[in-house]
Amino acid sequence: MSWITVVWSINVGACLTLAAFYCAVWCKQRENWVHLLFSCSAVAAAAISAFELGMLNAQTVEQYQALVRWIHLPTWVLTVSFVGFVRLYLRAGRRWLAWSIYGLRTLVLIFNFISPVSVNFRTITDIRHFSWNGEMVSMPVGLPNPWGLISSFSLLLLLIFSVDATITVWRRGDRRRALLVGGSMIFGAILAWHVPLVIWSIIEVPFFLGFTYTAVVAAMGYELSSDMARGARLARELELSDKRLNLAAASADFGLWEWDLSKDEIWVTPTRRAQLGFPVSGKITSDDLISRWHPDDRDKVRQALRNAIENGKDYDAEFRRVLADGSVRWVASRGRVQVNKQGEPIRLLGISMDITARKQAELEAARQRHDLAHLARVNALGELSSSLAHELTHPITAILSNAQAAQRFLDADNVDLNEVREILKDIVTEDQRAGEVIHRLRRLLRKGEPQKHSDDIDLNEVIRDVLRLMRSDLINQNVTVDTDLAQNLPPVSGDRVQLQQVLLNLVLNACEALADCDSSERQLLIASKSETSTVQVSVTDRGRGIPGGKPEQVFDRFFTTKKEGMGLGLSICRTIINAHQGEIWATNNSDRGATFHFSLPIVRSDALSAASSKVLDGSALTATDASAPRVAAPSVLLGPGANGSGEEEPAVSASERLARKEAVITD
Amino acid sequence: MPSSPSPTVFVVDDDAAIRKAVLRLLRSAGIAAAAFASPTEFLAQYDPNTPGCLMLDLEMPGFNGLQLQTALAEKGSSLPIIFLTGHGDVSKSVQAMKGGAFDFLTKPVNAKNLLPAIRAAIERDAVARGEQAKFSEIHARLDTLTPREREVLQHVVAGKMNKQIAGDLGITEATVKMHRARVMAKMKVQSVAELARLTERCGIRGTNSLKSAA
Repeated sequence: MSWITVVWSINVGACLTLAAFYCAVWCKQRENWVHLLFSCSAVAAAAISAFELGMLNAQTVEQYQALVRWIHLPTWVLTVSFVGFVRLYLRAGRRWLAWSIYGLRTLVLIFNFISPVSVNFRTITDIRHFSWNGEMVSMPVGLPNPWGLISSFSLLLLLIFSVDATITVWRRGDRRRALLVGGSMIFGAILAWHVPLVIWSIIEVPFFLGFTYTAVVAAMGYELSSDMARGARLARELELSDKRLNLAAASADFGLWEWDLSKDEIWVTPTRRAQLGFPVSGKITSDDLISRWHPDDRDKVRQALRNAIENGKDYDAEFRRVLADGSVRWVASRGRVQVNKQGEPIRLLGISMDITARKQAELEAARQRHDLAHLARVNALGELSSSLAHELTHPITAILSNAQAAQRFLDADNVDLNEVREILKDIVTEDQRAGEVIHRLRRLLRKGEPQKHSDDIDLNEVIRDVLRLMRSDLINQNVTVDTDLAQNLPPVSGDRVQLQQVLLNLVLNACEALADCDSSERQLLIASKSETSTVQVSVTDRGRGIPGGKPEQVFDRFFTTKKEGMGLGLSICRTIINAHQGEIWATNNSDRGATFHFSLPIVRSDALSAASSKVLDGSALTATDASAPRVAAPSVLLGPGANGSGEEEPAVSASERLARKEAVITD
Repeated sequence: MPSSPSPTVFVVDDDAAIRKAVLRLLRSAGIAAAAFASPTEFLAQYDPNTPGCLMLDLEMPGFNGLQLQTALAEKGSSLPIIFLTGHGDVSKSVQAMKGGAFDFLTKPVNAKNLLPAIRAAIERDAVARGEQAKFSEIHARLDTLTPREREVLQHVVAGKMNKQIAGDLGITEATVKMHRARVMAKMKVQSVAELARLTERCGIRGTNSLKSAA
């Protein structure tokens, strides 16, 4: 076998190998078109080499004519894919040059197939064999085609294009790539000039156009190997950094997680994975993860997740997790939604932290606050005790007189049973009245559960309750109370007893402020009104006002203007109101006396902000912004009903359920 | 004498249930009673000529029991007041007793205590009213006397003889006798001792020292 056959074949093989390799790379990363373009150009280069080998060994004119005609097809493919490759891979090369080359090359292809033989030769009359470096090769004998100049011109443009692209890359600072890839392609573009020179019989060498691209192929082979080396290094570094990250996360008790929404697959850091009792590898779905959440918190977290996915907001939730060993831990989880180019959410990335210690401290603080409030309440009721006893005295007096009257009626000769019946009825009524007094008292004295909130508190009712409780005391102190209560007051959320306590304190306080006043001036006004997002209650007295011109001070702990006061009452009021997300403040009236106000947020049935859902163990859903992208979240988000049902809910039905649920809540 | 109305217990209490129950209790004891929700209501309807007593709640909003006591005293009423209190507030009870309260009871009040207290109060009121009636009668008789007869009366109750009186007044003994007989007739008495008792009750003292002092 001649060495020419061997060398040309090696070139074909090398090009095809690299083409196959890049094609395989492209198959894995379809979005990276540069690999496909390179693969195409390498296949074309291989084809050209094969055609050339055929031409060098051609025995007949017809054979040669066919080869020299069809070699233009791979040449066109090579040129087009090479120019595309340069523009994509090096992000260089002028667009107009590229389009000019495409145009000229296509023109060459058209002329090639119009011409009787090829764009290079008008006619081929014979084949002559000559010896080249010890091998006999075939060369055509004929007339060159003048249209072939177009082909030469396109070669010139290609050279200019290559040089220009290389300069751009060089200037960009990527000198290694400019030298390697740019240099090899300039070299190739120069070498390609042998073709017209041979055709015009200026030099006598065999065609080796296929080799002009070999330099580029070699450069790319080198690039690829260094890419692989870099990839391996990156992988090693990634593994290291992954280990470092996992170590950091594990030691800080952080968990990192990622939720692929389309596949419903969740990745979590290994430590967390182990804590949650998942096997070391294997898919975790959102169902699996939710099963590790505390049952009472699942709806809340689902809602927060849905809010994040649907509205593109950051996800932020605090909830309890049940670990594999059965222990319950508090977790704060934060995440962010990633969207694709169409703006659709594709995955959620986040971290989770163990906040059990903080949560326990918070709960402990809340419990202490609750205990203190209770003590203060007992204390305040202690101040009221004699008037509360009086409140009980009324019904008991009525009962005793009624009963003794009945006894006397029954002792008489003519017993009027109707009269006795009436009396007994009244006794029952009065007994109930006494019972209510005791019940009201017991409610206030009871310690209750911390953070047990109800969502339907009518502050007017709270005001009336407190006034009922304080009736005797107010009479005793000669204080008259006027009320100005707004009708249809929206409900607020909170602890009814604690809110009664706040009002009780404010009224007791106001009464004390009035103690020095003339009895005709001992007047209080209690008013309620609704603002845009709050309900406001105010207690106005005509007393001496707040001394010192610093009304805010009165809420400080141990601040008191009384001889016997502990200075806790108003500070507890503030603690209670703050815990209800409300505000409390005091102002001196312009004429005389002071007014104490507090406001509490209205319970909104139509929307709950993420912030408020943190506080209220909310069951209401966030209303979604109509303009925000809506996607069908995995069915697992949509409620316990979708859990373990074993069948995938179609997206339409999911959004219907969502709409239904929203409708129920906005009602 | 005109027939006076039967004794009535006036119950003033702001608690409707208590009013109703107390009225029943009093009715069971055969005592007439009337109830009022507030001191003002009572004052608007009260007829001082009705005998009886007042059963008054000490703690009421606005115009309270003590204020009613004061108001009645200013009107010269002698209606006995039984105070009822739910508190047993010492300062207020002292004030009430100083104001002449007849009794002071705490709620809940037992009929065993309440009814005797009410009967006693009614009794005292009756006695007081009887005294008052006699007093008025004597005053009416005194009013019929001429100034000279009044002078003679004062000398008679001082235990002076007709002769002395005649000397003191510068009139004849016969004239004194005539005046004296007219006084005895107008005052509807038989003896000087009786006359002296009547006039003493009205605070008329003898004027035996009139001349000697001069």
